[in-house]
Amino acid sequence: MIGTLRILIRSPKFIIGLAILAVVLGTVFVYPMVNTADPVEMVASGFDPPSAQYILGADNFGRDTFLELMYGTRTSLYVGLIAGVFATVVGLVLGLAAGYIGGLADNVITLITNMFIVIPSFVILILVSVSINSRSSTVTALIIGLTSWPWTARAVRAQTTSLRNRDHVNIAKISGYSTTKIILFEILPYIASYVVMAFILQIASGILSEAAISMLGLGPYNTVSLGIMMNWALMFEAPAAGAWWAFVPTSLMIAAISFSLFMMNTGMDEIFNPKIRN
Amino acid sequence: MNSYLKYFLKKFGWYLLTLVVAITLNFFLPRMIKGNPVSVIVSAMSQGMSDVNAQKKLYESYMHQFGLDKPLFQQYLIYFQNILHGDFGVSFGNYPRRVSNILASAIPWTLGLQIPAILIGWLLGNLLGAFTAYKKGVFDKIIFPAALFVNSMPFFALSIIMLYVFGLHLKWFPIGGGYGYQMIPNLSLSFIGSVLQHHFLPFISIVLVAIGGQAIGMRSMSIYELNSDYVLYAKLMGIRDSRVVRYVFRNAVLPQVTGLALSIGTMISGALITEIVFNYPGIGTWLFTAIRTLDFPLISGCTLMITLAVLAANFTIEIIYGLIDPRVKATQMEGQ
Amino acid sequence: MGQTILTVSELKTFYRTRLKENVHAVDGVSFTLEEGKILGIAGESGCGKSTLALSVMGFYFPPLNFKSGSIVIDGIDIMKLSREDLRTKVLGEEIAYIPQSAMNALNPTKRVGKFIEDILREHRPGLSQEQMQRLAAERFEILNLPTRALTAYPNELSGGMKQRVVIATSTILNPKVLIADEPTSALDVSSQKIAIKLLKSLLAKGFVKSMLFITHELPLLKHVADDVMIMYAGQIVERGRIDEVIFKPMHPYAQALMGSIIVPESDIRGHRLSSIPGAPPNLKNEMKGCRFADRCIHTVDECRKEEIPERARGERTIRCLFDFDYQSEETAHERR
Repeated sequence: MIGTLRILIRSPKFIIGLAILAVVLGTVFVYPMVNTADPVEMVASGFDPPSAQYILGADNFGRDTFLELMYGTRTSLYVGLIAGVFATVVGLVLGLAAGYIGGLADNVITLITNMFIVIPSFVILILVSVSINSRSSTVTALIIGLTSWPWTARAVRAQTTSLRNRDHVNIAKISGYSTTKIILFEILPYIASYVVMAFILQIASGILSEAAISMLGLGPYNTVSLGIMMNWALMFEAPAAGAWWAFVPTSLMIAAISFSLFMMNTGMDEIFNPKIRN
Repeated sequence: MNSYLKYFLKKFGWYLLTLVVAITLNFFLPRMIKGNPVSVIVSAMSQGMSDVNAQKKLYESYMHQFGLDKPLFQQYLIYFQNILHGDFGVSFGNYPRRVSNILASAIPWTLGLQIPAILIGWLLGNLLGAFTAYKKGVFDKIIFPAALFVNSMPFFALSIIMLYVFGLHLKWFPIGGGYGYQMIPNLSLSFIGSVLQHHFLPFISIVLVAIGGQAIGMRSMSIYELNSDYVLYAKLMGIRDSRVVRYVFRNAVLPQVTGLALSIGTMISGALITEIVFNYPGIGTWLFTAIRTLDFPLISGCTLMITLAVLAANFTIEIIYGLIDPRVKATQMEGQ
Repeated sequence: MGQTILTVSELKTFYRTRLKENVHAVDGVSFTLEEGKILGIAGESGCGKSTLALSVMGFYFPPLNFKSGSIVIDGIDIMKLSREDLRTKVLGEEIAYIPQSAMNALNPTKRVGKFIEDILREHRPGLSQEQMQRLAAERFEILNLPTRALTAYPNELSGGMKQRVVIATSTILNPKVLIADEPTSALDVSSQKIAIKLLKSLLAKGFVKSMLFITHELPLLKHVADDVMIMYAGQIVERGRIDEVIFKPMHPYAQALMGSIIVPESDIRGHRLSSIPGAPPNLKNEMKGCRFADRCIHTVDECRKEEIPERARGERTIRCLFDFDYQSEETAHERR
């Protein structure tokens, strides 16, 4: 583990990604401690331009856009994280089951996985969200996770299948280890890096999905997220009002977070996947 | 060719089954949640109504239209039957316009926007990706992060910035709609010109994000191929670099064809939201309106259309792929 | 003794890893290869024998780098040629390579015959396509390979056939030196025999003049090679006639290596298996003195002080300060 980290910090891509993420996290968690104002309080008039007091001006409701951006980023990160954890757990369990048990279980799980890779998750997101009336951020996150597990499941299954008949697994089987023990000690350590990489991608795609459905007006209720801010900017015609501060920083924030996660993933991929070393 | 036919039929059967599952989900997912959607919608719609009788009437007419007085499974069969007849019901928000009629008017716009944008984005992205993988060095150090950054941006975020910069600020392009609002669709040059003008900004937004995503995929695929044994062997037999690069490009781009199949769902979804930003008269904008007005039949019709389009695109790609890659006969035939 | 075809002197090459470390994989190797001879190179995996095979080709690309030394083929130092001359006049023409994994050595989306045409196009620009096809077909016939393999994609060929096709492809230009890197390690026993027979017939028919045969399977080498070099940590530790080195190794590492092989061969079977304690040195570090010192049972202080020169001992060359004669396993054990 320590050794892995030591190799990772020598990957410029991983470090750049981690640094951007750290700056984002630092800002969104520290700034609200300094400025303890309520982000939804209307402190200025609609679309006030940036000023010394409000560095990113005000949104359509006259709220401090910068402060709103901090809270919105926190919500989006939270949704991405919960969606990522949920998708990874479901994908890991199903992938391990399919890959390790094989046979009928494998066929059934693979069939379902492949179907849900092809059926657009966007559609399922809409269909489920539209019928749940009061969605909290957690519910939104779970719905997103529910639609994104197949990618992880497919990757884990492929890895597990190739591991299943390796010598060390067979030796463990002959030695009478329980299935749980074999999976925990003989399979998981070998696929851990792939799972972590898939998890990072799931967080990024969770954040992007939240933005997409919030844009449609199906995001979480009673909160501010990056997608909801974009939705407001569009609904209240911020571009026509010339209020670039209502949507450009938000767009860049979404891009910066997913960019940092993609960078970390690429850095890890180059290290753990010998075939794509440059 | 016989084995190809078998491949074709197998794929066809699989996609047909997936379509049935998708239609089933389209029916059941909104109905799994407590309280049927119609009652939720009708109560939302009738909030302004003071007349209890009128409210009741509205409710009953929808109950009847959806067959909600029948058991769930029977409703499902009715739904399935209606879809097979191309009947998606009547829109709530655009009463009495039929959903099929709305979809028919929207689909050409969406296809006209998305098919060229995705194909061109795919092609340019792959060329760029192969180029960066081959050139390496400084080139790769600039292009790769740039492509990754564009790819990290949701389609609509790029769209809204493009709309602001090129539409509102510089006023180079119209800011919304499919054609000039004072025009009536016809085949005159001025109308076609207006359509192309309105087409440009959403088109470029989609192309840019697609280039980013494809370039990243192609770059890592090409690096993988460049490190393969046949490249080493070909080079050591004295084959010139430009020819080796052609080997690599061909082998790297083939998996990118499958990659397109896998990412097309996300791409189409993203591009649909781009339509909203530009108020483009396609499925995306209708879906947005439908969600805002809780126009349930229209939402359901749109999601079904999107699913159908994504499945059809996937199927087409797999069928083409089976024809062009000699490896597919050995490997792909067993899978799935 | 035949005419000397290949002379390698003090060749040093290294890998540059992504973490900017240098791995000194070939560290001062010198040898000569005479006409009509097959010279074996043996050693544990990671000893640098595959890198030596690549290095002798003279055509370097990352991560492999040339440091110093000379490679002379027929009086010409190929390291003094321009890269373009090397590619068009030496690779495939003077010296050819059979890669370690013939399974992946052929471009999966190119028919075998088309690939041979590409090679001929680089080296025999005057030939028409028809002439090139005839040349390939004739060569396949002489070597008893089915000409239908020329129109096949690699994945349509069996493993053994792929290997034979690669052998025939590598030697299509009648190179003077053929370097075969573990050409049979992935094959079953009968395919192995056919491949070896093919390699020997190339020499007998004069399509190649000499051969370097790299393997970790010493018993196999006994049937193939005339001479053998034992490699350890980037250096040649012993060279001599194959029978002598196998049955009476002189260098302590060679002795340990011979003690550690078990094979179902009547004349070698009597030896007991004993593994060599310790691990080979890390080639990232610059080293002084004998590379085997840490694992050798005879090590004294002088072994670690200076670079150990190669010296002749009878018909053999060894890289050791002392004369140790081979003794039976039992005596060796008593000494430990």
